[in-house]
Amino acid sequence: MSTSGHALRQPEEYTMKELTNAVDTCARCGFCKVSCPTYPFGGGFETFSPRAKVYFLKDYYEGRAELTPEWVDRLYRCTTCERCQSVCQTAIPLVHLWEGIRSEIVQKGLGPMPAHKKLRALAEEFGNPYGEPATKQSQWMLPEHKPVDSAELLIFGGCTASYRMPPMLQTGVTILTRLGIPYAYAGGREQCCASPLLRTGQLETAEGLIARNLDLFASTGARQIVTPCGGCSKTLKHDYPVWAKKLGKSFDVEVLHFSEVYVRLIREGRIKPVKRVEKTVTFHDPCHVGRSQGLFGEPREILAAIPGVRLVEMPNSREQSRCCGAGGGVKANYPQMAAEIARDRVNEAIATGADMLVTMCPFCQGSFAQAIKELGASIELSGLEALLLESVTP
Amino acid sequence: MTYQEEYAQALGERVTFDPQILRSYDHDLGEMPGVLMALIKHRPSVVVAARSVGDVQQALLLAGKRGIPVTPRGQATSGYGGAIPSKGGLVLDLSNMNSVLSVDAANATVDVEPGVVWEQLSKDLAPHGLDNRVCPTSAPSSTVGGWFAMGGVGIGSLRYASIRDNVLEIDVAGLDGAVTTYSGQDMDVFHQTCGSLGVITRLRLACRAAEHLTPYALWLPTAAKVASFLTEAETVLEPYSASVQSSGYCAMRAEADGHPPVIEGGFLVSLAFLGAGATRDEVSRLTLAHGGKLLLEMEAETEWADRFYPMRIKKVGPSALVGEFYIPLEGFSACWRELTATLPKDKLGLEAFAVKGGRLAVLVYILDDAGALLYPLRMAKAMIPLHVAARHGGKAYASGMWFAAMAEKIFGPGKFARAKRQKQKLDPRGLMNPGKLKGPGLPFLPFVSLSRLILFGTALIAPVAARISYSRHNAS
Repeated sequence: MSTSGHALRQPEEYTMKELTNAVDTCARCGFCKVSCPTYPFGGGFETFSPRAKVYFLKDYYEGRAELTPEWVDRLYRCTTCERCQSVCQTAIPLVHLWEGIRSEIVQKGLGPMPAHKKLRALAEEFGNPYGEPATKQSQWMLPEHKPVDSAELLIFGGCTASYRMPPMLQTGVTILTRLGIPYAYAGGREQCCASPLLRTGQLETAEGLIARNLDLFASTGARQIVTPCGGCSKTLKHDYPVWAKKLGKSFDVEVLHFSEVYVRLIREGRIKPVKRVEKTVTFHDPCHVGRSQGLFGEPREILAAIPGVRLVEMPNSREQSRCCGAGGGVKANYPQMAAEIARDRVNEAIATGADMLVTMCPFCQGSFAQAIKELGASIELSGLEALLLESVTP
Repeated sequence: MTYQEEYAQALGERVTFDPQILRSYDHDLGEMPGVLMALIKHRPSVVVAARSVGDVQQALLLAGKRGIPVTPRGQATSGYGGAIPSKGGLVLDLSNMNSVLSVDAANATVDVEPGVVWEQLSKDLAPHGLDNRVCPTSAPSSTVGGWFAMGGVGIGSLRYASIRDNVLEIDVAGLDGAVTTYSGQDMDVFHQTCGSLGVITRLRLACRAAEHLTPYALWLPTAAKVASFLTEAETVLEPYSASVQSSGYCAMRAEADGHPPVIEGGFLVSLAFLGAGATRDEVSRLTLAHGGKLLLEMEAETEWADRFYPMRIKKVGPSALVGEFYIPLEGFSACWRELTATLPKDKLGLEAFAVKGGRLAVLVYILDDAGALLYPLRMAKAMIPLHVAARHGGKAYASGMWFAAMAEKIFGPGKFARAKRQKQKLDPRGLMNPGKLKGPGLPFLPFVSLSRLILFGTALIAPVAARISYSRHNAS
C-alpha cells in the first residue's frame, strides 16, 4: 500500500491552515523514518527523520519552536525524493511541507544553504545554475539533428542534459529525427526550469525563470513539450500550471518525459526494436519520474520491447525505489551525503548481478557515473534510450 | 569529570545533549494533553543512539554509576508511554541496532538485534525460505525488541498467538554492563515490562516457512455472527490470520481514501491462509452458514494489501481516541452492544485481530481533534471501551506507563510478582525505565501513582465525556 497517486497540490496552493492540519494528522508511525534516504546521515538520532521534522513543524506552527540554524540545516537535508510521502499512513503532502518551510526560511533570510545561493546567483545571471553562457546551450546537438522553427513538439533540453550529461537528450532527439518527427528547439533562449530553486525555497528567482520560459513556450506555439530530465518534467508538469495561473500567463501544453514519447511510438508501431541487445539490466526509477509522475510501467514496457534485454529488479524498485541522492539541492550542498546515497544505490544494482544499470534522468545518471567510478565497479551505466536506439539501428 | 563528559568520552558521536534532539524523544504515538505530560519529566537530558551491544553496556554502566534513569526505545510506535521517560535521564535509542545476526534455516529460527524492523526482517528471511510468524500492523517501522518489550498480538496471531509465544531466547544487558541470556519463564518477565528490568540486546525468534498467503474477505451481519464464525473458523478452516472491521471503521477509511466503503453495515472479516489453505468454496460455505457473504477476490486482495495502514483514518480526524482491549469471543457481541449504547453520540470504528484460543484484540477508534478545547475532557472516552470490555470478560491490552497501575491484571499476578522480585534484584534503585511497573509518582506526591490517578480520573469523567462528541464526527 502506498499513497502515491493521491492528487497532491503544489506548495503554493496550500493555505497555512491546511498545512497545519496536515501536520496534525501525523500518526507518528515512523514509516517515513524507515524509508528516508537521508535519515541515516543524522547519527542515528530520531530528530533527522521526517517524523521528527513533522513534529518540529507542529511545534513551529504553534509557536513553540524557532527555525534555528540547526533546524534549517536539517530541513535542507532532504532530496525531496517523495519516499516518505509515498508510505505516509495519513497521506500528508510531506514534500510540500518541506518545500513550503524552505521558502519560509528563505523569506525570513535564514537560508538557503550556501551552495543554493550560488545556484541562484548563477541562474539569475546566466539563466542556468551551471553558469554556462547561452551560446553553449545547443552544443549537445549532433549534425543529424534538424529542429524546425515551428512544430507541435518542443524539445526542452534542461540544464543538466544540455550542459553536463547530454547523451539522453542527444539520443532522444536522434530517435525523433530518424523517425521524421518534426520538433522545435529554442536553444540559447531556454531558461532553467527552476526546479533547483523551487526545491530549495528560492521562489523569487524561480518566478522570473518560469515567467521567461512561459513566454518562450507561448511564442513557439508548441502543443507538447518533451524533456529527458526527471526534474524538468516534474516541474513543467506539476509546478508550471500553478505558476502560469499565478502569473496570468498561458500554459496550454502537454508535458512529456521522453519515456512517454517512446512508449507511444512503440505502441503505434513507429518504433520497432528489432536488433537484439544481449544485456541483463536493472532499472533505477528516478524519484521525480517515478513517484512524482507515476511513470513506472513506461520504462519497463520499453525495456520489454527490446529483444535480448533481460530485466532484473532491485529489491527497492518502482514506488519503493531508492534515491540517487542528488535531488532537492542535496548534491549541491551536501555532496558527500549525496555520493554515499548514490553508492548505496549502485551497490544495490550490482547485487542483482545485472551487467548494466539503466535509468532515464540525466541527474541520476550523473550521480551514478560518479558512484561507479568511486566504487571501481564494473557495472555499465546507460540511459534507457541508448538501448532503444541500439535496438532500432540496423 | 561531569556525566556529560564521561558519556561523550565513552560514546563520542553516539551521544547527544542537544535540547533540539532531546525534544524528539519526549513523546511516542499517543497525543496526551500537555497538562498530563507536565506531571512527569518526559524530556531526557541525554540520548545515546546505540550501534552495538558495547554501546548499550557503556551507556548502562555510566547510568548505573551516576544514578541516571534509563529509558530504552525502539521506534516508539505504541501510544502507551512505555518509551517515554518519566524521570528524564537517558534515552537509549536502539533503532540503529538493526542487524540480522544469524539465520538457522534448519531449525527455522533467526537471531536479531532489537532494532530490526519487522517488514525488513520478512524480506531478509525470504532468501532462507522463512518468514515472520507474527508481526504488528506497524511492521513497516516497528522493531522486534520494541514489540516484545511492549507485548502484543497482530497479523498471524490466530495461528501463532502473541509475540511472547514466538520468542525463544533473549539477551539482556543490565546496569552493571553484564549481558545475560534468558529463556522460558525466566524470559517472561522481560515481556511487557518495557525494558524496566534491563535492555534487550538480542532476540531469537521462531519463524515459519515462507509461503504465499491467500486472502479472503467476507461480510457478516452482527458481532454475534463474527464471534460464532471465528470460533468455528479457527478449528475448521485454520486460517493464519483474521481481522475484523466494523462498518463504522470501514466508513472512516473510505472517507480518508475518498472512495465508497467496502461494506455498508455489519462487519468485514479478512482472513489469510498459508499456501492454498482453505478453498474459496470452504470459506464461502462457512460464511453462508453464519449468515454472511463472501466478498470478491479483488476486495480481499485490497484489504490484505492495506493491512499495515490502520491509522489512515487520522487523515479525517485529525486525531483519534483509541480504546484497546482483549475480549473473549463469547463476550464480544454483548460488549459491542453495550459500547455502542454507551457512546451513542460518537461514530465508532472497530478493528480487531483474532488471537489463538478464542480471543480478540480490539481497537475502538473515535475521531477527534487534539487541538480542540474540550479534547482533554473527551480523552476520557478512550477508557470507556476498556470499562465496558471488563464487564464482559475483557482486559487491558498493554500497560506501558499510562496503564502501569493495571500491570498486575494485565500480566497476571504470578508474573507480576516475579517481575517485581526481579526488579528488586536487578535494579534496586529503580533506574531502569522508572514508572513502568506501577506508574510514575506525582511530582509533589511521589507516593501517588500518576497511572492510578489517570484511571481514577477517567473513570470519574468518562460518563460526562460520553455525552460530549466532537462535532465534526458525531453520529448525528
